[in-house]
Amino acid sequence: MNVWLVIVAAGLGSYLFRISMVVLADRVTMPAQLERASNFVAPAAFAALAAGGIAANTAGVDLAGWIAPLAAVVVAMVAVHRTGRPYAALLAGMPTLWVLSAVVPA
Amino acid sequence: MTAVTVAPIGSARVGDFAAGARAMVPWLAGVTPFGLVIGVSAAQADIPTLAGWLTGPAIYAGSSQVAAIEMLDAGTAPIVVVITALVINLRLILYSGAIAAHWRGTPRWWRAVAAYLLVDPSFAVGIDRYQRPGDSTDAHRYYLGGAITLWIAWLLAIGAGATLGAQLPAALHLEFVIPLYLVGEIVPKLGDRATRRAALTAAVVAVVAISAPLHLGVVFAIVAGLGAALTVTGGKR
Repeated sequence: MNVWLVIVAAGLGSYLFRISMVVLADRVTMPAQLERASNFVAPAAFAALAAGGIAANTAGVDLAGWIAPLAAVVVAMVAVHRTGRPYAALLAGMPTLWVLSAVVPA
Repeated sequence: MTAVTVAPIGSARVGDFAAGARAMVPWLAGVTPFGLVIGVSAAQADIPTLAGWLTGPAIYAGSSQVAAIEMLDAGTAPIVVVITALVINLRLILYSGAIAAHWRGTPRWWRAVAAYLLVDPSFAVGIDRYQRPGDSTDAHRYYLGGAITLWIAWLLAIGAGATLGAQLPAALHLEFVIPLYLVGEIVPKLGDRATRRAALTAAVVAVVAISAPLHLGVVFAIVAGLGAALTVTGGKR
């Protein structure tokens, strides 16, 4: 199998994953428990991607290196909680990250 | 008279599509540098640069693209490369299951295209809109607006990385744009007890499983989050 075939095979498999449940949903009635679980895929996935992303980007740094990202997350959460606006996380979190990264040596 | 009735419908269609595209903008700030990096790694790998770029439209999921390019560069057995890329993409089945109910009744061709565009950012933007009240047709246009914007930007970023070897200043810390954006999306939903438990469990498991092989940590975390949410019965709080 050459490089091109490997990429095409991985692409076709990924597409089958993407369309699998969309096709099955027409033919199979999902159990109630699974239907309920599907409501939580988004928050679970968002939390996993956010926490995993922060952990991956701070891997190998010492405690001081964690301060800026963690403070940015806390400030972002407070900003969203107080304003009710999701974009406040970026408006408050990124400047916090920039300032603390410059002030606190990693 | 016709102009009076048609114009608002047409502008509403464009408006939904444009709103989806706008909702994708914060994601672009985070995924574009990632696409550039993949492009650069494709150009430097011991495979044809065009093949590296082809991982974009073919696999269309950053982590598994990186894994595929790195393993092909290292001369890994082809079947292992394919299996690894697919294992990393297992979460797409969960996304497919979560969004399937919203796509019921749409034409097959539409679902075929929409499913091809399904990946973390398009799922996030789309499911957020589908969970809001309103006409599902508007939500479909919103999803496509975000998803097509992402697709174009992603392929352009990989192409730019492959041809220009672009480098963005590390001091911008753009790698934190997506995590912070996701924090913004999660916080307003934490009022519900089951959602809170799902998010907290998934976050903890994702950090604990950060070194899991084949990038399976995210899949473990989502499944753990779902399990935790299902243990909650009854009331909202």
